[in-house]
Amino acid sequence: MNHKKKLVHYAPPGVNLGQELGWFASGIGASLLYSLGFLFRYSREYQLLFLWDGTAKVLNTSAVMPNFVQVLGGSLDTFLVLALSMAAVAIYHYSYHYQGSKSIYLMQRLPNRWELPRRCLTLPLMGVSACLCVALLLLLIYYAVYMAFTPRACLAPYQWQKIWSVILGVGI
Amino acid sequence: MIEIKNVSKYFGGKRALDAVSLALPQGQIVGLFGENGAGKTTLIKCILGYLRFSGEITLDGAPISRKNIARLSFATSEHSFFPNLDATAHKEFYEQHFPQFSEKRFRGLMEFFELPKHKALRHFSTGQKNQFEVILSLCQGADYILMDEPFAGNDVFNREDFYKVLLGILEPSETVLLSTHLLEEVENFIGRAILIRRGKIVGDVSMLELEDSGKCLMDYVKETYHYKADRVSKALSELTDEQ
Repeated sequence: MNHKKKLVHYAPPGVNLGQELGWFASGIGASLLYSLGFLFRYSREYQLLFLWDGTAKVLNTSAVMPNFVQVLGGSLDTFLVLALSMAAVAIYHYSYHYQGSKSIYLMQRLPNRWELPRRCLTLPLMGVSACLCVALLLLLIYYAVYMAFTPRACLAPYQWQKIWSVILGVGI
Repeated sequence: MIEIKNVSKYFGGKRALDAVSLALPQGQIVGLFGENGAGKTTLIKCILGYLRFSGEITLDGAPISRKNIARLSFATSEHSFFPNLDATAHKEFYEQHFPQFSEKRFRGLMEFFELPKHKALRHFSTGQKNQFEVILSLCQGADYILMDEPFAGNDVFNREDFYKVLLGILEPSETVLLSTHLLEEVENFIGRAILIRRGKIVGDVSMLELEDSGKCLMDYVKETYHYKADRVSKALSELTDEQ
């Protein structure tokens, strides 16, 4: 509640902040659920590393686990979509000053020239940061899961570098 | 003093202001009159910096910028408040941004007009919204209060009350530039009348001068606009003949 009170000063005056935060939280929640697809894919690929010898499960040492980035696929893409949607929130915050009145007149004649951009952009930028942070955190967690549970013998080298090659768009 | 020097404004190819030059010293109540589309609103918006223009507008010799913009306030029939906030939240917002904000005047005017303090402005009647818009402009602590048709939608008693209150509360250093169609209503309340037509200043007279010449404001406006008094009777007789 206290945080919400503080955030009010970074949003257009009178905007329904509770609703905006609710939508954002729902977006984060949905993205989080969608990202769990990684665990299903990983589990499936993990099972393929084993052969059945009668009733015993034996590791196929010639099998290679697909690269982490392949297993990850688009699991974190929804965070990117959510981050990009923050641009629409910024536009909404600006256009809010034309709804029901022309409060833009007041905002444009405030002695503090940064008040209008601050109130239009701060929350969307915080939203983008939150999306990127959660996505990064999940990336690290999923990477740790991948590295911890994948048998050494089946692990292709340079997994971390391969992540960076995808992020930076360069080949290794 | 606000000095407007040779200000012109075009919208596309259409000229909205044509080399307007004016001086608004402190302590005057000035009426700005003209037909719809004459350039009243455009002139006020140029003064406030909402529109780009050619020419020069200065406040005590300095261009109007964020440094001195707090010396100007604005009340518009379009309203510039936040519809989802109540009056108290507006007071707090103004206090935060305009250190000269007069809480005492705000309280007094809110009580006088019996406006609710804890009701979102979107639930106010049009008349109440206009009143609140004007209250904010009067309480900001500005030296120059620019009003653009602030009473559109208010009933006559309401407007009458406002003129009286305004005359009663204004400090000698405060200037009001009031753009309105309500010539006769504001005649006894303004000290100077400026007439604008097709983007040009066509008349600028003090009410004392008018009084001395034995004319009323309406006569002056009609004279300046070359109003043809017989045009209605002519039109009517022509229409009647046709029928």
